This record gives sequence, structure tokens and C-alpha cells, in this order.
Amino acid sequence: MKTPAAHPDLQRSSVGALAYTDVTGKRHDKVLPVRLFPLTDPNRWISITDLQGQELACIEEVDGLPDDVRKILLETLAERDFVPVIQVIHTIRHAELGCEWCVTTDRGQTRFCVENDESVEALGGGNVVVIDQHNTRYRIPDLAALDAKSRQKFERYY
Amino acid sequence: MWFEFAGLARQCCATRQFLHFASYALQTAIQQHHLWQHPTPAIHLSSTTAAQPATLPLIERRLEPGERVIARLQTDLDRQLRFQNGLLVLTTRRLLALEESQEEAGQIRDWALAEIESLELEEMGATGALHLMATGQPGGSHWRFTAGCIREADAFVACVMDHRGALLSGNPPVESQTAEPDVDDEGLDFSDLVRDSQRGNPLLRLLMFSRPWLPLIALGLVLTVAATSASLLSPWLTGSLVDAVLIPIQTQSQALHVQQITPYAIMLLGTALLAWLLKWGRSFVVARIAELVTSRMRRDLFEHLQRLSLIYFNKKRTGDLISRISSDTDRLSMFISLSFIDFVCDVFQFVFTALILFKIHPLLALVALGPVPVVAWLVKCVRVHLRSCFAASGRAWGIMLSVLTDTIPGVRVVKAFAQEEREIERFRQTDHHVYATNDRVNRTWSFFSPMIEMFTDLGLLLIWIAGAWTVAHGEIRVGVLTCFIMYTSRFYGRVEAMSRFFASAQRAAASAHRIFEVLDVKPDMPSTEGTQRIGRLSGRIEFRDVKFRHGARQIIRGISLDIAAGEMIGLVGASGAGKTTLINLACRFFDVSGGAILVDGQDLRDIHVEDYRKNIGLVLQEPYLFFGTISDNIAYGKPDASREEIIAAAKAACAHEFIMRLTDGYDSMVGERGQQLSGGERQRISIARALLIDPAILILDEATSSVDTETEREIQRALDNLVHGRTTIAIAHRLGTLRNANRLVVMEHGLITEIGSHDQLLNTSGTYARLHQAMLEVSHT
Ligand SMILES: Nc1ncnc2c1ncn2[C@@H]1O[C@H](COP(=O)(O)OP(=O)(O)O)[C@@H](O)[C@H]1O
Ligand SMILES: [Mg+2]
Repeated sequence: MKTPAAHPDLQRSSVGALAYTDVTGKRHDKVLPVRLFPLTDPNRWISITDLQGQELACIEEVDGLPDDVRKILLETLAERDFVPVIQVIHTIRHAELGCEWCVTTDRGQTRFCVENDESVEALGGGNVVVIDQHNTRYRIPDLAALDAKSRQKFERYY
Repeated sequence: MWFEFAGLARQCCATRQFLHFASYALQTAIQQHHLWQHPTPAIHLSSTTAAQPATLPLIERRLEPGERVIARLQTDLDRQLRFQNGLLVLTTRRLLALEESQEEAGQIRDWALAEIESLELEEMGATGALHLMATGQPGGSHWRFTAGCIREADAFVACVMDHRGALLSGNPPVESQTAEPDVDDEGLDFSDLVRDSQRGNPLLRLLMFSRPWLPLIALGLVLTVAATSASLLSPWLTGSLVDAVLIPIQTQSQALHVQQITPYAIMLLGTALLAWLLKWGRSFVVARIAELVTSRMRRDLFEHLQRLSLIYFNKKRTGDLISRISSDTDRLSMFISLSFIDFVCDVFQFVFTALILFKIHPLLALVALGPVPVVAWLVKCVRVHLRSCFAASGRAWGIMLSVLTDTIPGVRVVKAFAQEEREIERFRQTDHHVYATNDRVNRTWSFFSPMIEMFTDLGLLLIWIAGAWTVAHGEIRVGVLTCFIMYTSRFYGRVEAMSRFFASAQRAAASAHRIFEVLDVKPDMPSTEGTQRIGRLSGRIEFRDVKFRHGARQIIRGISLDIAAGEMIGLVGASGAGKTTLINLACRFFDVSGGAILVDGQDLRDIHVEDYRKNIGLVLQEPYLFFGTISDNIAYGKPDASREEIIAAAKAACAHEFIMRLTDGYDSMVGERGQQLSGGERQRISIARALLIDPAILILDEATSSVDTETEREIQRALDNLVHGRTTIAIAHRLGTLRNANRLVVMEHGLITEIGSHDQLLNTSGTYARLHQAMLEVSHT
């Protein structure tokens, strides 16, 4: 089912939050964009919900939006997005709780702890998600594209 | 010769010495597994090294005289959500913020407490944000951090607001009140983690684990060494036979009779018999050790699993745990019984054969030992590779079992949606993964093993050449050469066996690692295990501003509720409101992340968990019955219950009637997970189970949602009597179920929104009235 409106009416409210005016003309001062497939299809299917989590609109295709709306939407999403992409794996080693990873991501270097083997999930097509101790997601979009050393380290453990 | 060996064996018999020796042998032989003993990483993480409170002195230098640090919060992201450390410090007067950035050494900003209008924590998906609003600063200030810091941030905000409130209201906080929240208690300080990661080589730990059976192991070792020595005697005897009898007979140099062979033959027979006896004893003892060790390991694993909290099981796949308990311990058993003692014995043989070889002819021995360094080098190369292959193979096995434990219990759903093909494909894939990982091992191994053989054959060839040369030059006699060659082939046999050992040791290490990984999980009731022993409670429960998080997500946002002893509380709210989570907290399956739960005035965290749970009767939405009879299941919480009690409980739960109708009555088997009963029947048995222990606190989590209205009414009637004298918390969607509740509590999004009786709540026309209205509409249509 397509959303009836051609594109949702999104604005930035005075306090900097995302605002939305629905088809009936009712204005919602603070709404949240939520990616519906954050790991497998992050750039499509974005839901606009109110603070209680009620869906107000659903956007299938971000690229189809007018530039200003898209810009606002992507900015708001960027504030909430946090799925660092692992670029280099320096070390993975056994620690007290599972494995300690030492990596460089697109958001800088960090260390984190992965408790179980179950926390490293292959989503198919070389797309791997690593969930750390605190439930933060890290992504390796394409295992094959990782440098050989990193891949070796990864494969030794998983 | 034999005595020489026996003497050595006696020496090794002293148990401590053995352990010393064995662990040393293991350590040197296996060298260090790089896998488990990584050198510290070469790279330096600016972010994590700065995570040490090293920045605190920077701030402390900025403090005014008399100003003290009260609390601090380490943040780990910058505003663009890049990994970057920062520090927030609350002092007696101000809030200071230190931001580290690549360019500057650290910039400090500060706000007087009086300026602060609000400080709020916001969850933003996987991260958190702190928003500070201060007078004269329109946009406010913001800090970001990962989910790992959220708990601390929560505590920090509370601390700041408390402190500010106290300051503004004119009673500056008393010294003792300003406890510093334990900010570096969790997550932030990685140094502990690194230190503890050096738990050592899993094989050494296996040896440590086997300590209780040391005498038996020593016996196994003695038998092994003795058996080996006995078999080592025969080449020696053969050599003597050739030189002292056969060759003189052949060359007719002395007048010797063929009968001279007899003593040699008898001696050879004797050694063969002795070797047989000793090997028999050895195999038996060693196999028993293997079974004893692994049986204890399985029991320990299961025992340990029973002590772990629900949080652990939520995360783990059942199949993986099963594979650790079953196949990994089995691999270890194989390793101990087939490889380990053999290896020790091989080392002995290796050393002694080498000594004998040198004793016979040093030069030839040197030639014979030639290929050994090459073999050692090969072993070293292949070990690294095998290690990761075996680890992968163990995991693949776990994944395969997980698929099984997932699909087999769900077979009804599979069939209902006609997805058999898909499940077959899923299993095929995981099975292929198992195949592929094992194949990787075999590929390496099939190449490597013949290679070693080739080198040893080469060694033998060298000996023949060198031997022929020495015989030709009259340096040694043919008999000596025969004996030498026999020893050498034996020697290479050992070398081959040892190289095989390294492979199986890698497999065992991988398995042992998987086992110790489970054993190392601390029973993770996050705070201290309660020690206060209690008897029967009166049943007063007090929730004091209880908060709870799953990861970054706050599920319970601050609930305060006082439940008097004997009171019945009806808990209603949309699904996902946090009702089940709240009672999980009340049962102490999880610990609260903020606030406290008190029962009979005591903090739940101080009370002995098992004592407390004996006071709780819990009926879950999805009743789980164990394999066994109905009466076993009803008496699950009190195995020594009398028949009378069991029947009384079943009657109270309205289960008696239907149980009577079954062919085997109370002795009917319920099948795995109670599958031979209907949903409503299972439910009633689980209610009977909860009632049988006569709990002070009865918790019903949608306990009657899967029985028909008629039965529900019956159960209701039974419950009417049973709730007397015990505190009851009942969650129900059919509001009629809760008509006896003293108070109804409405929950929404982790908060209590309404409390009151049925009539009161209807009059306030809030959520409850809405739910009620909706229910009426449904029942009228
Ligand atoms: N183990 C878990 N990890 C993360 N979130 C969970 C977990 N268990 C429950 N939740 C979430 O907590 C919220 C409350 O769940 P619950 O207490 O079961 O609701 P209900 O009121 O229906 O019983 C739900 O939104 C659920 O998604
Ligand atoms: Mg529930």
C-alpha cells in the first residue's frame, strides 16, 4: 500500500525538532523518524511516528522526496543513527566476557565487548552485524571488502 | 633398562612433581597458543587510553578553594557521534564539562549550579543525549554517549538535580549525603577486562580441572610408562638375539646350538605378555579418567547454567549450549583417553629412544634425528591454521544444533505454513557449514600427515645408507644396526604420534575453551547476592521509584507502588506496557537499574534469592510443563507433597475434573512440554503447581487468558478463596478477571497512570474506562 500523500509535510520546528503536518492539517510538533529496516535496507521505508510511537506516515523512498524535506529528514535521522561501520579490525581477543574487539569505524577508533557468538550475525551477502555488550550495533557491510588481515582475524573467531 | 624406566616412573609418581612436569611438558610442547595469549595490541587507542580518569586532574586543577568533586560522568561520543571522550563533573558549586578534541588539549566549560534550568537525559536510539538548559544560553548544551554510559548518565542527572535542588532550597547538602556514584564501576574502565582476559591456556585449565583425579592420572602415567618400557625391551632383546646367537650360528664361528634361542624367545614372550597386561590396565585407567573428568565437567556446566540468570539465557541459543555440554565434552573425553596420556608416554618414548640411539651409536643417532627439526617446524606452521579451523567447526556444530532446537519444537508451525522445504534448506545450509569447516580441517590434515610420514621415511632411508656405510667399515655389527633401525622406526612412530597429538590438542583446546567460556560467566545477578535468610513472608511489597532498562531502552520508567500484605492488585495496560517486566523484577529475575523493591521492608537484593522464590507462586502466560506425570508437574515446587495436597491444589485450580477423566488420572504423562494436554489444561496444571507451594505472594501473568470463559469463571471462584491471606498480583486482559482486586493499577509505557478500584477508575474516564468500553464493545458485537 502506498501512502496517500505524495510526500509527507515535514518541517523543522522552532526548537529544532522535526515537525509534521498530517493530511488533515493537524500539526505534530515533535515527531520521530524511524528506520524500519535499519540493517538491511537503511535508506528506504522510514516511518514518522509521534512520541508515543504511533505511526503518522510512512515513507518508502527517501530519494523521491523534495530536497528540503529530505534534508531535514536525513539530518534528524543522523542525530539518532548510531551504527558504526567497522573498517579495520585491529584485534579480537578473548576477554572476561566473551571477546574484546578493537576496531576502527567510520566514527573513529573504539573498543567494545561482544558477549556471545550469537551476537555476531550474518545477514546474508557478507553483511555482518555485531552487537556489543550494551546492545550497540556495529556493521560490516561486506566482509569480502574488508582488508585481508581484518578478515582473517574475524574468521578466526567467527 | 626396564629398571631405569621404573625408577624414573617412581620419581614421577610423586603427584605434585607429576603435575609440575606435565604442565611444563604441555607448556613447552604446545608452546603458547597465540589464540589465547595475544600480545597487547600494538595500536594505541587515543579514545580508550583517555578513558582513564586521567582527565580528572585537569579539572581538579581548575577547582576553587573549598570546591569538591561530587560526581563525574565519562561520555564517549562527540556531537557528531564520533568516538571521543569527554568528562562531566559535578562539584559542590558547579557543573564542569571537559571536551577532548584532536586539536585542543581539552576545553573546559562550566556552569554554576544555580544557572542550570534543567538537565535531561534523552534516549536516541542506540545512543543517549544529555540536554542542559541554562539561563542565558538559548540553545542549551548537549552531550552524547553510547548505551554503555546511559546508566551512569541517569545516576549523574539524578545527582545533579538533587544537588541543585538542595542548593536552591537553601540547605546545602550534608557531606555524607553526597555519595559519589560509582561511575567507573561499569563499562568505562577497560583495564580490568584486559587483565582478566589472560585466563590462560584452556588445556592447562583442563589439567587444573582434573586435579581431583591426580592419583589416578599418576597411576595411568605409571602404567603407561611401564607398558612402554616393556615394549621397548623387545628390540633390545632382538638385537642381542641376532648378535649373540643368529649371526654366530650362521657364520659357524662358534659351536652354538639352535636351542640357545630358547631363553631369548621366553624373554621376548615374557615382555610381550607384560606389555599386554600393562597396556590393558593403562587403557582402562585412562579411559576411566577421561570419563570421570568429562562427566564432572558436564555436571559442572549444567549446575553452572542453573545458576545463571534469565538475562544470560535470553541471549544464548539453546542449541549452542547443548553442543557445549554434549559434543565439546565428548571431544575432550576423546582427547584425554586417546591423546593426552599417550602424548606423555610418547614424550617419554621419544626421549628414551633418542637416548638409546645415542648410546648405541652417536653418529648414526645424529643422522636419525635429522628430520625432527623439519617436522617440528611443519607442526608449528600447521597448528595456527588448525586452531582456527577447529574453533570454527565447534561453532558450526553449535549453530546446527540451534537450528534443530529451533525447528523441532516449532514443527507445528512449520507444517501449518507448509514450510518444510524451507526448513530443510535451512538445515542443509547449516549442515553444509559443518561439513565445510570439517573439510577445512581435513584438507590441512590430509596434506600434513603424509608429509610427516614422508619425512620419517626419509629419515629411515638415511639410516640405511649411513648404517650400510658403518657396517661396511666394520664399525658396528649387523645386529646392532637391526636393533638401531628398529628403535629408529619406533622413534619416528613417536614423532608421528606427537604431531598427531598437536592436531587433537588444538581440537581439544577449542572445545575446552568453549566449555570454560560458559563456566567463566559469573552468575550475573548484577549486584551482590543476597545473604539474608528468610522464612515465610507476610507479603508486603513496596516498589520505590523502580526503573529498569533493557540495554539503552528504558522499559520501566519509575514506578512507586505499595502493596499491603494480603492485598490483590490487578495490573492492566496495553501489551508492551511493561507489566511482565515489572513482575520479573518483583520475582528478581532481573535486578532493578534504579530505585528499589522491598518485601516486608527488606531490600530484595539483600534477601537470599532461593528463600525468596519459595514464597512466590508464579503462573505464566505460556505454561511450561516438564516431561513426567501430571502429579510430578503439580508437585514441581514441593517434591515431597502428599497426594492429598496435590489433589487439593488440583481441585483449587479446577483441574481435578479433567485429570479424573484421563485414563491414567494423576499418573498420566504430559509429554514433552505438556504437549499432550490442551492449552487450558496446561494452564490449570500450572496454576495448581503455583498453589501447591502455598505462596505468600501469588503472581498471575495473564494466567487465565488461554482458558475458556466457563473455566475462567471456575478458576476465578477458586482463586477467590485462594487469594485470601496472600498478596496477589494478577495481570489480565479480560478485566472481569480482576473484579476481586482491591486496587487496579493501569500501566502505560513503563509508568503507572491510574490507580483505584473498578468504579473509581470508570468515573475518571481515563485509560481504564477506555479499555473497559472497548471490552464491552467487543463482547456486544
Ligand atoms: N529481553 C528483552 N530485551 C529487550 N526488550 C525487551 C525484552 N523483554 C521485553 N522487552 C520489551 O519490554 C517491553 C515491555 O515488555 P513486557 O513487560 O513483556 O510487556 P507486557 O506489559 O505486555 O507484559 C516491550 O516493549 C518489550 O519489547
Ligand atoms: Mg506480558
